[in-house]
Amino acid sequence: MRTGAKTLLFLTGLWLVVAQVPAFAAQAPYLAGLRRLTETQYRNSIADIFGPAIVVQGRFEPDRRIGGLLAASGTTLSITPSGFEGYAKIADSIAKQVVDEKNRAKLLACTPKSATAPDRACASRILEHYGLLLFRRPLGADELKARLDAAEATTKLSGNFYIGIRYSLTTLLSAPDFLFRPEMAVAKGKDFTLDGYSRAARLSYLLWDTTPDPALLDAARSGALDTDSGVKEQVARLMASPRLESGMRSFFSDFLELDTLGTITKDPTIYPKYSDEVAASAREETLRTTIDLTLKQDGDFRDLFTTRKTFINRSLAWVYAVPYNLSGEWMPYEFREGDGRSGIVSQASMLSMFSHPGRSSPTKRGVALMDIFLCEPTPTPPANVDFSIVNDTNNPKLRTVRDRLNAHATTPTCASCHTHSDPIGLTLEQFDSIGERRLKDDGRDIDVSAVMAGKHFAGAAGLGQYLHDNPKVPACFVRKLYAYGTGASSEDVEKGTIQPFLDGFIAGGYRLASLLKAIATNPQFFGAPPPAANPSKLSMNTTAR
Amino acid sequence: MIFTRRFLLRGLFQGSAATMALPFLDCFLDGKGEALAATGRAIPTRFGTFFWGCGLTKALYLPKSAGANYEDTPQLASLKPYKGKFNLLSGFRAYVDDKPNIQHWTGNAAITTGIAPAEDTKFDAKTIDQTIADNIAQGARFRSVEISCCGNKRESYSSLGGSNINPPEISPLGLYTRLFGPGFQDPSKGDWKPNPEILLQQSVLSVVADDRKLLSKGVGAGDRARLDEYFTSVRELEKTLQVELQRPEITAQVEIPTAPEEMPMNKAVPNLRRVTPILARLLALGLATDQTRVFNMAFSEPASTIYVPGDSRPFHQSTHEEPVDETVGYQPITSKFSTYSMEGFATLLEALDGIKEGNGTLLDHSLVFAYTDTSNAKLHAVDGIPMILAGSASARLKTGIHYAGASTSVARVGLTVQQAMGLSVDRWGTDSNMTNKPISEILA
Repeated sequence: MRTGAKTLLFLTGLWLVVAQVPAFAAQAPYLAGLRRLTETQYRNSIADIFGPAIVVQGRFEPDRRIGGLLAASGTTLSITPSGFEGYAKIADSIAKQVVDEKNRAKLLACTPKSATAPDRACASRILEHYGLLLFRRPLGADELKARLDAAEATTKLSGNFYIGIRYSLTTLLSAPDFLFRPEMAVAKGKDFTLDGYSRAARLSYLLWDTTPDPALLDAARSGALDTDSGVKEQVARLMASPRLESGMRSFFSDFLELDTLGTITKDPTIYPKYSDEVAASAREETLRTTIDLTLKQDGDFRDLFTTRKTFINRSLAWVYAVPYNLSGEWMPYEFREGDGRSGIVSQASMLSMFSHPGRSSPTKRGVALMDIFLCEPTPTPPANVDFSIVNDTNNPKLRTVRDRLNAHATTPTCASCHTHSDPIGLTLEQFDSIGERRLKDDGRDIDVSAVMAGKHFAGAAGLGQYLHDNPKVPACFVRKLYAYGTGASSEDVEKGTIQPFLDGFIAGGYRLASLLKAIATNPQFFGAPPPAANPSKLSMNTTAR
Repeated sequence: MIFTRRFLLRGLFQGSAATMALPFLDCFLDGKGEALAATGRAIPTRFGTFFWGCGLTKALYLPKSAGANYEDTPQLASLKPYKGKFNLLSGFRAYVDDKPNIQHWTGNAAITTGIAPAEDTKFDAKTIDQTIADNIAQGARFRSVEISCCGNKRESYSSLGGSNINPPEISPLGLYTRLFGPGFQDPSKGDWKPNPEILLQQSVLSVVADDRKLLSKGVGAGDRARLDEYFTSVRELEKTLQVELQRPEITAQVEIPTAPEEMPMNKAVPNLRRVTPILARLLALGLATDQTRVFNMAFSEPASTIYVPGDSRPFHQSTHEEPVDETVGYQPITSKFSTYSMEGFATLLEALDGIKEGNGTLLDHSLVFAYTDTSNAKLHAVDGIPMILAGSASARLKTGIHYAGASTSVARVGLTVQQAMGLSVDRWGTDSNMTNKPISEILA
């Protein structure tokens, strides 16, 4: 016997919960993909299912950016032992809050006949309800029975109906079906496609970044989501909702790598204005700008690089050295032409994320912007490169950062990369490591001119226009939005796959909403790989690794 | 009076848990009461890693002589109080063969897996701490504990393979809560009693473990591996709960302090000096009370960007941009960061050596493997990466020796470490890193 406690559980008869292994039928849905919920998706889902008052506190597994998106790590990473420990604690805390006396009436579907005895009918209603919402599909008979048996046994032992419910809810919240989104697929003619419930989840997390709502689940149940017209109807409904904004905030946060603001630090002796509040405000500014322009105004996506319109609060006004005359928290603001700002590339978020703690970095900025907006990662430098010239501030001939970087970049081994990314970064040199404007470097005017692919431009405005007019930018955007929705690495998405969406995006004037609609209503968006030739059995013994 | 499970649980939920009698589990555990009575077992040997980025300064750390009684060097000055308790390893090489030298990653991954990695931030095998955990973690509450001194949630170099990392604790309070928060049972207190709620948490995991059968249909190899990892993690938590149900084995009489306050976590050197000793002390207490036997502490990331406030150049930039001062033969400012990293390591040794255990200290019953990503960070060199093995692994290692690896594989160190930790392994690593030659000069 493995453990003493197991003996105990066996003796009480509680743990004879033996799930029946279902026969593997040829036409049965199969697991085509497995996507770990992000922290935001977890939080949004819990808030939607149990209400915003439920506190979610604990440690989540970190994500990792793959192909420019954290979303892709959901299809790559699993859950580690200490990660699961964290999820189990959060699950327990949520379940405890749900059955709490002050929440019961509101959150539980029924009141048991007696609070001190099992009531299988009532427990069944509660667990079926939350099972559907948490697993994004109805519980299987075995899954429900296991949880009802456990709830009944625990209620008998504790003399408390709600204790039984609490622990059975915890089993739902700790299950792989909640922590991951298993994407189930079925054969459709010669192809394979996601089943209705998996389609519901894919749509919901793409458009709202949260769990499917009851209407969407109902459309999956009825079979409506298996049809093109049913999908169109639901996409129209989801996109008409104000919650689209929350979903697109998640997308832009991932696309623009705004999570980086949570991990950078700035040297307070050099940048006393910088604080956690500035970092959070900078993130919010960029999200407000993108959402306002692309969704609320239904504007041309490319104007994100040229607009001087933004939103600021008090702490950003300090960084930008502009007047702030509003008692409210945020106000729209338009930079003047002479301010040197142009779109999101010259906002505090982008400027501070891709800088060192104590100074700006044209290379970091260039590399990041090429990667984010052009889908062109810069190769890593050779291992034995000598950078000392870049920072030899005593060299009388190389007085500015540009001088030194250029001297270094003309070394043949370095040139190929630096000509790739530096010009973009150098146009932003009039902004320091936290995004404050500066016009001099070592007492000399900062030269912000650049040449990229034969095009001459200067400063943030020149860079903004260059990106605005660059056809690679919308292509990269479409690629990343599609990858975000499917969970693939953006580098693995076939050019042919996105071409029709890109064509439509261009023809429609670069409107986000119509691009989203085109992707979400296309049957290709729900395509699945064929099932594994020999369905792999999970090893049943993981005790020894 | 007969104590039943039902009685126990009733007591819990009616708020009378405090009145539970102690011996209630005797009749259940294994019928003989041995599990509860189990005390006096040998002190476990712990294993840990200490990682810092960007290496050391050869001119300042490397002694001219090898063997015992090697001369002191300036960069290791902070370690001097423990000189008799560690081995300095120099001159080992991470062979890359036909793979690229992935900057700041190849050295790190080759040292902990014996395999030159194929991709950045991806391990081609389980890291050495996890292999050792497979062998020694059973019986401790946590399989392993990871810590990031800079407070970065992605800064952990412990992995079961692939891109997944074991997430680190990122603050003293977080570490304290993990080790001594809910679920902790103080072995130095005489009134120990198991928490019956654990039985219910176990029941949760039983149900979850059964979910695997429903997910196994038609799954491809990649997702199968990920599901396997998930269910292994479920199993690990079952083990943790099992340990929490048992009377802890008292291995040290230590006082568990009250919870530390939230404090800022960042890469500024003064802040690292403040938080690292606190993290080290909490970790040492966690080891002493057998909360875990395996740990991984990251002082900084590969390509370390720790910085000194007021100087705009962090460590990594400094390695590439500061000219070598030809009068001394090294980069003066850069070298200070290496010295700071060793000072951080010294605080860990101090914390471990400060706890008495049996005839020695916690450090004597440990093996701490300190390593970095490069030798000369300016060139991203992966030959001659400095490493330190501290503690004698309960007298399985000789200590106080400087051993020069003469360009032999870094995997020799990992092989030596595994043998010292009692693992039955006679070769380790792949391709040119593969070795069957442990450092016999330091194996006792």
